[in-house]
Amino acid sequence: MNGPRMLAVDLMGETIRALNGSMVAYEGQMQFKRQGMTGGEGLMGAVRRRVAGESVTLMEITGQGTVYLAHEATEVNLVPLQGDTLLVESESLLALDGQLRTGVQFTGLRGVTTGQGLATTKVEGHGTVAILSDGPAIALEVVQGQPLSVDPQAYVAHRGQLQQDFVTDVNWRTMLGQGSGESFQLRFSGHGLVYIQPAERGDGLGAEV
Amino acid sequence: MGYPPQPPYGQPGYPQQPGHPQQGGYPQQGYPQQPGYPPQGGYPPQGGYPPPPGAPGGYGAPPPPPPAPVATFNAATLPDDDNVNPYAFSVNLNGQWFIQKGKMIAYYGQIKFEALSAGPLDALVAGHFHSPLYAQDWVVAQGQGKLLLGDRGFDLNSFDLEDGNLTIRANNLLAFDPRLTLKQSIIPGFLTLLGTGKFIASSNGPVHFVEPPLRVDPQSLLGWADLPSPCHHYDHSYMRGVLGMARGMFGIGGTSGEEHQFEFSGQGTVLMQSSEQVRESPAMLRELEAQVGMLGVGGLQRLNQVIGQRLSAEQGGGRSSGRSGLMDLLD
Repeated sequence: MNGPRMLAVDLMGETIRALNGSMVAYEGQMQFKRQGMTGGEGLMGAVRRRVAGESVTLMEITGQGTVYLAHEATEVNLVPLQGDTLLVESESLLALDGQLRTGVQFTGLRGVTTGQGLATTKVEGHGTVAILSDGPAIALEVVQGQPLSVDPQAYVAHRGQLQQDFVTDVNWRTMLGQGSGESFQLRFSGHGLVYIQPAERGDGLGAEV
Repeated sequence: MGYPPQPPYGQPGYPQQPGHPQQGGYPQQGYPQQPGYPPQGGYPPQGGYPPPPGAPGGYGAPPPPPPAPVATFNAATLPDDDNVNPYAFSVNLNGQWFIQKGKMIAYYGQIKFEALSAGPLDALVAGHFHSPLYAQDWVVAQGQGKLLLGDRGFDLNSFDLEDGNLTIRANNLLAFDPRLTLKQSIIPGFLTLLGTGKFIASSNGPVHFVEPPLRVDPQSLLGWADLPSPCHHYDHSYMRGVLGMARGMFGIGGTSGEEHQFEFSGQGTVLMQSSEQVRESPAMLRELEAQVGMLGVGGLQRLNQVIGQRLSAEQGGGRSSGRSGLMDLLD
């Protein structure tokens, strides 16, 4: 029943948080609660979110039984966290354990190109996060002295001690519409893991620079 | 709480394509047999993450095994010129490759992307890229490193061409080795590769190899090899009567969408994808624009009318098969 595009969660009275509207079926007794204005991040968190335009609407699910979650038949990937921090695009977040904390992290220029706003969602604590990717996610390791460059449209999430640089390769050709099409890249250096998906977001005419 | 076991996706059990018969001269490379992906690189400490305290696993069932982690790679463990998974391909770049714009999803190493109009590439482009129409959509990747390609989550396959010719839908050609020469096909929207070398193509669903003679739906045609160019084939019944005339002229009306096919004959192979999903391509628009130059005043006025009609229909009643009317008119 739970293929790579559907997540089944067994609940025994605990709480998880999941993307609004992602429940497709459940067995047993479940309660769904839309998170209030503050989204479980306190007043300051809500303000930061509003300012950053990083919208993620989660609901709380509590109960006994199994709940099935899916979103537009995209692939579900489980990422266990053990006290470390995962930074994930808000639109790639499906569900997370109740004990995990979420917040907003400002990312600067990158968000502008991916069209996700200036910030990304930060998840930290102990537990499992389910992230969505268009096609199975690939985790790429970054080690010292071996930076990784990623197309912002294929980027999903990252974790670890990573510096994020926004590499532009813009020159007069780009202005003339003869750019290389790969003018904007995210370069990660340091030590950690970067999750990417084998597809670009927002394709179509004029989406490429 | 315990997440029940995930099927081992990301692990050896990727749906392996049934081995296509080796086509003469175009062996399709099977996906790499990935017996237990390369060792997970120790980061993060995966495997057996402890269930949170007080969480019995499921209804009296034994505790579920930890979910399969996401496949992890680094610069050394990424495959050389092979699929990472059915939807991503890793090129071991050492020199130059032509790649379609925007298909790079990540890379390790020192790689630069240059537009084809860049001066130092003149000799390469003059010798191997004969298609001004598509030049804007392609770049040359040069340098050393591992380059990952992906295309809308479509299936990717690499093909080896040995002194042959193969024509493929322009949008589905992701990258090719500069030993190959690219030319524009007579059929709009298709490109022909000549010579010996490797190229990477995407398909929506697995590729099927079929032998002519046959007629195919133009939208699910991926390409063809060693064959003369196809002809258009129209079912006569759709053109019959007054209504049929109107359809033929205006490209509108209750058509089934199956009255037009490409007909192949001769010896060779036709490549099909198992879907009819094609993307509107910027090259298509440029091609149409280029043809507008051949029209006189009367033709331009007529086209203007048709476009006006289409536009109001599109804006009024949903976005259906966008450009088919215009295409039928110009075909």
